[in-house]
Amino acid sequence: MDRNKDRRILVCCGTGCLANNSYNVYLKFKERLSEDAEIEVKPIMKSTGCNGLCEKGPVVKILPDEISYFKVTVDDVGEIVEKTIKNFETVDRLLYYDTNSGKRIKSHKEASFYKGQLKIALRNIGEINPLSIEDYMERGGYKALKKALDMKPEDIIREVELSGLRGRGGAGFPTGVKWRTCSEYKDQPKYVVCNGDEGDPGAFMDRSIMEGDPNTVIEGMIICGYAIGAHRGFLYIRDEYELALKNVRAAIDNAREKGFLGKNILNSGFDFDLEIVRGGGAFVCGESSALMASIEGNVGEPRAKYIRSVERGLWDKPTVLNNVETWANIPPIIINGWKWFKSIGTEGNYGTKVFSLVGKVKNTGLVEVPMGTTLRQLVYDIGGGIINNRPFKAVQTGGPSGGCIPKEHLDIPLDFDSLKAIGSMMGSGGVIVMDDTTCMVDVARYYMNFLAEESCGKCTTCREGIRTMLHILTNITEGKGEMEDIELLKEIAETVMEASLCGLGKSAPNPVLTTLEYFKDEYIEHIADKRCASGVCKNLTSYYIDENKCIGCTICSKNCPVGAISGRLKEVHVIDEDRCIKCGTCAIKCPRGAVRIGGMKVEA
Amino acid sequence: MSFVYEEIIHGYPKEKRYTLAILQDIQKRNGFIPREAMEYLSQYLGLPVSNIYSIATFYKALSLKPKGKHIIKVCSGTACHIRGSGTIKEELLELLGIKPGETSEDGLFSVEVVNCLGACALAPVVVIDDKYYGNMTKDKVKSVIDQYKEERAHG
Amino acid sequence: MEVAKRHGIHIPSLCYRKGFEGLARCRLCLVEVKEGSRRRIVSSCVYPIKENIEVTVTTDEIQRMRKNIIMLLLLKAPNNSYINKLAEEYKVAAPERYMNPLDDENCILCGLCVKACEKMGTNAISFVNRGIYKKVSTPYDDASKDCIGCGACAEVCPTNAILVEDNEGKRKIWNREFNMVKCSLCGSYFATEEAYKLMQEKLNDNEEPICNECRKKIAADKLKESFANIY
Repeated sequence: MDRNKDRRILVCCGTGCLANNSYNVYLKFKERLSEDAEIEVKPIMKSTGCNGLCEKGPVVKILPDEISYFKVTVDDVGEIVEKTIKNFETVDRLLYYDTNSGKRIKSHKEASFYKGQLKIALRNIGEINPLSIEDYMERGGYKALKKALDMKPEDIIREVELSGLRGRGGAGFPTGVKWRTCSEYKDQPKYVVCNGDEGDPGAFMDRSIMEGDPNTVIEGMIICGYAIGAHRGFLYIRDEYELALKNVRAAIDNAREKGFLGKNILNSGFDFDLEIVRGGGAFVCGESSALMASIEGNVGEPRAKYIRSVERGLWDKPTVLNNVETWANIPPIIINGWKWFKSIGTEGNYGTKVFSLVGKVKNTGLVEVPMGTTLRQLVYDIGGGIINNRPFKAVQTGGPSGGCIPKEHLDIPLDFDSLKAIGSMMGSGGVIVMDDTTCMVDVARYYMNFLAEESCGKCTTCREGIRTMLHILTNITEGKGEMEDIELLKEIAETVMEASLCGLGKSAPNPVLTTLEYFKDEYIEHIADKRCASGVCKNLTSYYIDENKCIGCTICSKNCPVGAISGRLKEVHVIDEDRCIKCGTCAIKCPRGAVRIGGMKVEA
Repeated sequence: MSFVYEEIIHGYPKEKRYTLAILQDIQKRNGFIPREAMEYLSQYLGLPVSNIYSIATFYKALSLKPKGKHIIKVCSGTACHIRGSGTIKEELLELLGIKPGETSEDGLFSVEVVNCLGACALAPVVVIDDKYYGNMTKDKVKSVIDQYKEERAHG
Repeated sequence: MEVAKRHGIHIPSLCYRKGFEGLARCRLCLVEVKEGSRRRIVSSCVYPIKENIEVTVTTDEIQRMRKNIIMLLLLKAPNNSYINKLAEEYKVAAPERYMNPLDDENCILCGLCVKACEKMGTNAISFVNRGIYKKVSTPYDDASKDCIGCGACAEVCPTNAILVEDNEGKRKIWNREFNMVKCSLCGSYFATEEAYKLMQEKLNDNEEPICNECRKKIAADKLKESFANIY
C-alpha cells in the first residue's frame, strides 16, 4: 500500500513567505512529485495562508506526519521529497530550532513559538488553501451559518452577547451589545461592514486572516446580517493588500456558487450579499465613521459620533461595523456556544487575541493567545526573547494610538482593561518590541510624523497639535530642545487628547504621553546633555573608544565602512569624529564593549 | 490615451460612491490621473470638479503626477523603522538624486515612502513594482538598482 | 449652540455661522454636558439635544483647552490680526521659539468658505490634501471655470484670509479675473457678470442690474409710500 495515501504537503504562501520565494518552492514540489515515478499516490499539495512564524519562512508542513520545515529553499525540495516523502525520515537541519531549549523539534506544535498559542480566529490559516471553499467546509466551515439560519435572530444576538466577545479592532466594545442596539432600530436598509483597513504600522493580523481564511469573515458577516436584519454588507479592504483583495474576491464568488450568499440562502428565505470596497491609502479610514464616509464616495473625514453608527451609519442607516478578527470569531462562537468562548481568557476579557509580534524579538510573526497571557510570556516564551539577548526596553502596543509599556510592566496580562489601566491600549494587536538600541524620543517623533500626514486634517487640535508636537520632538532629537519643551509637549498632548473630534486625534498623543511618563530621563538627556544613549538620533550621538577597555584587536577599524578608526595592533584605537557616520558597527563588533556613545559633538 | 479612461469610467454606474474605485482603476492603468480624466469623470458623475480633486488629493493611492517606470516603495512601518529603514531610504534617495515622491531624471524610478506593508518579519522591506525585497541593507540597495538599470540597458 | 445664542450666552467659535450646519472643525465651542449620570465634553455646534441636559459653558478644564487651541491657531497664523485679537482676549501667548515671524498664513481651515461655495456658490473650491498639508483651493490652484467670483467665501471667512481685489470694474479672486456689472442707478460696480447671471437664472429675473444699496433704498421708499397712505 502506498503510504502516501492521505498525505498532504502544505506550503505557506502568505505575503511574508511569498516574499521569501515560497511560491517557487510550491511549484518545485509539484514538479518533483509529478516527475517522480516511484511515488504512485501523490501527496496533495496545498498553498496556504500565513503560519505565523514569518521570520523562519518559507514554512512547509507535511501531514499527517506532523513535520514542519522552516526556511525551505527551492534547493531543499529534492532532499525533502527523497528523505521525507519517500522514506519517512526527517531532514533535521530544516526542523524548528527552539532557542529556549536548544533542541530541534519535529512537529511545530511542540515548538515554544506555537505551544502557548490557542487558535480561534487563526484556526484554519496554514491548514487550508484559502481559495478552496471545500477546504474550509471540510474543517467545519459554514456549519455555523446553517445552525444560525435555524435559530431566531434574538437568540443569535444573545449568544454573541453572552460570549462576552469584544471588538478586536482596538476599542473593545462589546460586540453583542452593538448587534443588539442595531437590531432594535427599525430603519431600513441596514448594513454590515467589515473594517479591513488595518493601518497600524507593524500589524498584519487582519491581512493574514483575509488572505489565509477569508471565508470565516464572510460567514461571520452573513450570520450578523441575519441577526440584525441587514441584506447587504461591505468589506472595506486596504488598497495595499493585493493578495487579501484577490482572496476575498475569490471567496465571495465561491460562497455565491455554493448558495451561501445571494437570494434565499440555503432555502431560508434570507437574502444577503457582499461587496468589496477598496481603500485609497488612508490610515484614517480605519476609523469607523471615516470608513463609512469613504464607502459613500467622500474623503475619509470622521464625524462627531454623538449619534452612533448603529443608529445612523452608512448612508445614515443602521450599520454594524466590526473588525476582521471580530468577524473571524463569530462562526466558532455559534458552533461551540458562548460558554466555551467565555471559558477562555480573563474576567471581562474573554477569548483570544491575535498579535503581530515584531521588532527586536527573535521569533517575529503572528500569534494567537488567550487573553490574559502576560507580556513576558509573549515576548520571552513565545517570542524567544530579544535578538542577541539584548536588554528589553519597551513594547509598543496599539500602534500610533497606543502607548509604550516599559520593563516594570512586563508581567501585565494582555487584555483590554489591564492595558488601558496603565495608559496604553490593546489596539489592533501590533506588538513592537524594543531594546536598548531604540530611542524612545525618536519613537514618539516617528509616530507624530506618521500621524501628521495620516490625520484627515479636519479639526484644529489634531492637525495643529500633531504638527506642533512633531516640531518640538524633531527639535529635541536634533539637539535644539529646551527644558520648557517637555511641559509644552505635555500641555498640547493633553488638549489634543481631550478636544479632538475622533479616535485618531484623541489617541494621537498616547505615544508622546507614555514615553514622557516612563522614559522622561531620555527626554532630559536629549535636552540637557544633548546626548542620545541609544545612538539613534545622529546629531546627539558621537562614538568614542574607552581607552581603558580597548585591547587594540583592530576588529572595529577593519569593520568601519568609512575607515574612520585608526590604531595599530595592541594599541588603543581612536575614532575620527569628523569621518564617523555613526552607523554603530564598531560598537556592535567590539568584543570588549569599549566603544561608547557620547553626546552631541561640541565645537571646540 | 483619452480612450483608456473613458472606457474605464463607463464601466461603472453613475453613482458617487464609485468615485474612488474609478480613480484607482485609472491610476492603475495610467500610472497617474490626468486632468482631462478628472474633468470627464466630473461630467459623468454629475459632481463638481473640486469634489473629485479633493478625493484625488486626499487618498495617497492616487497620484496627479506621472510616475517612473519602476515604482519603489520603501516601507516606513514601525518594525522596518526599528530595523533601519531610514538608512535604506537615505541611501536610495541619494543614489537616485531625488526626494521622496519624486521620479528620477531618467524616468526609470519613482520612490515613495509608504505605510506598513504587512511584511514586518522581513524588515526592512522595499517593494519594487510587485517584487518584495526583504532584509534590505545599504549595500543591497545599490546592487538591486543596478540590476534594474542593466535590464533597461539590455532592453 | 443655537439654544445658547437665543439665551444670550456666548460660546466662542470660529467655524460656526448661522445658516450653515455645525462643522465641528475649530474645536473652540466645546462645552461640558451632563446627560443622565454621564458627563462629557462635546462640540456644542453639532451636539444633538435628545432630552434634558445640563450644559456648563466654561469650566477650568474647558478654559485651559480653549487657551491651548488658540495657541495652536496662533502658531498656524501668527500674523493674522483676528487670531491675535482672540489671543489677546483669552490672554494667550504662543512660545516665541515656535513662532515664525515671517509666516503670512491667514487660513485656519475652518471650512466656512467651502461650505459657502457649496450652499451659495458653485462648488469651485474645496479642501485639498490631508493632515498638515490640508488647504483650501481651486483644483490645481488654477483659475476655476466653476468660480463665479461672488465673494461669498471671503465674506464668511473669520480671519479675512481670502483676497478679493476689486479695481475699476474688474475683480480678481482665486487667481481669476472677472468683469463686473454696473448698477443702472448709481453706477457703482457690485457683482461679477457671472454671479449676476446666476442670480438672474435662479430668480427668473430679467430686470436692469441694481446694486444692494439701491435695492434697499427702493424697498425703503416703497415702505414709506405704503405707510404714507395709512397716516
